[in-house]
Amino acid sequence: MAVEQSLSRALASFQWPWQYEFPPFFTLQTNLDTRNKQMDAWCDLTLAYYRHIKAFTMDVNEAQSSPLFNNSKANRKLSVDFIRLILDTLEKRGNVEWQDTSKSRCLIMWRSPQEWGQLIYQWACDQGLGSSVCTLYEIHSGEYATEQEFYNMEPWMVKKAIVALAREGKAEYIPGTAPDDSDAGVKFFT
Amino acid sequence: MASRRRGIGAIDKSRIDKAKFAAKGTEIADLQLSHIAGQLETFKKHLEEFASKHKNEIRKNPEFRNHFQQMCARIGVDPLASSKGFWAQTLGVGDFYYELGVQIIEICLATRERNGGLMTFEELKKHVTKSGSKTRQDVSEEDLARAIKKLRVLGGGFTVIPVGGRRLVQSVPGELNMDHTAVLQKAESTAFISKSVLINELKWSEVRAQSVLDHLVREGMAWIDDQASDGERLYWFPGLFETRG
Repeated sequence: MAVEQSLSRALASFQWPWQYEFPPFFTLQTNLDTRNKQMDAWCDLTLAYYRHIKAFTMDVNEAQSSPLFNNSKANRKLSVDFIRLILDTLEKRGNVEWQDTSKSRCLIMWRSPQEWGQLIYQWACDQGLGSSVCTLYEIHSGEYATEQEFYNMEPWMVKKAIVALAREGKAEYIPGTAPDDSDAGVKFFT
Repeated sequence: MASRRRGIGAIDKSRIDKAKFAAKGTEIADLQLSHIAGQLETFKKHLEEFASKHKNEIRKNPEFRNHFQQMCARIGVDPLASSKGFWAQTLGVGDFYYELGVQIIEICLATRERNGGLMTFEELKKHVTKSGSKTRQDVSEEDLARAIKKLRVLGGGFTVIPVGGRRLVQSVPGELNMDHTAVLQKAESTAFISKSVLINELKWSEVRAQSVLDHLVREGMAWIDDQASDGERLYWFPGLFETRG
């Protein structure tokens, strides 16, 4: 299982918070203060984990067995309801977007679109891309972006970042002609 | 048959004798007192000389500091009483505990989020030592206890709770009664406890066990865990829970 191997390799360097070893972390707390602390810690951990493995989407049912929500060593795991509670909290904070009404899949934004936009804008300025048009593909998979944090980012996230930049007047989003918008482009105003 | 003196003269004589005895007694007592006072004065002077001479040792070596404290306590001198006055000025000992106390408050506040205001002395010591300052490298648990005792003048909130062979510092106001500390003692080595353990080992009624556990959860000192292998709810204490590193 190549995927699992590369995941465990990526996680070898991940700094788990102390709570991850603390068994009651995996049971929803009844004391409200304690529960708030618990929820904050889960939100932070979820974003940090996704950032570490550079992933952007979550399937809730699959996530149940991922190391994030399942500490096999401590023999503790989160229920689907608990996971949804975390994701709902993250949605309120602007870090999660549900993709379906049954809440089985969601987008995880460990950086906000504005933050990504800023990074991409900086890169565009450094590359001297001002006032020329480049494709979104060049941003997330182009040869000049390999060193960037947004390299290999999922296209929808790039689009969100560009839309955020456009709202600030720093770029213009140019819709593509392909049905899936895969050939969309952007014009930076530097 | 010897005649005994009677009458006014006899009464006067006995009064005079009594007064003489009393005067002599006071004289002796005064003498003794001044002698003792002199001894104490000499001892105090020696102690002061000793203290000035070994100032650095006292500040640096926790064992030495402890012995010195005990010596002072025996003659009723408290070098920690204030940061002013002779002792503090010569030694800076008052400052030492004052600063340590401030540091302890800071550590307790910073970790309260995690431990609910309950912390082992080992953990506290780890944090104090971590602060980097050189004089903090050799702080003993005795020093911590002494500094915490000083903090009591600030009002409630800082208490030392002995559990088993260890000590805990409680940094949130709120009384912990005998039942609560009994639970902490039982949980000391594992960081968790269950209701049935309290019922079986402490011979408590279920109501009593439950109400004590509920209190600790309400105070934020205990977390509930419903995933134990035998299905019984466990109560975990983050303040007792040690993690790697």
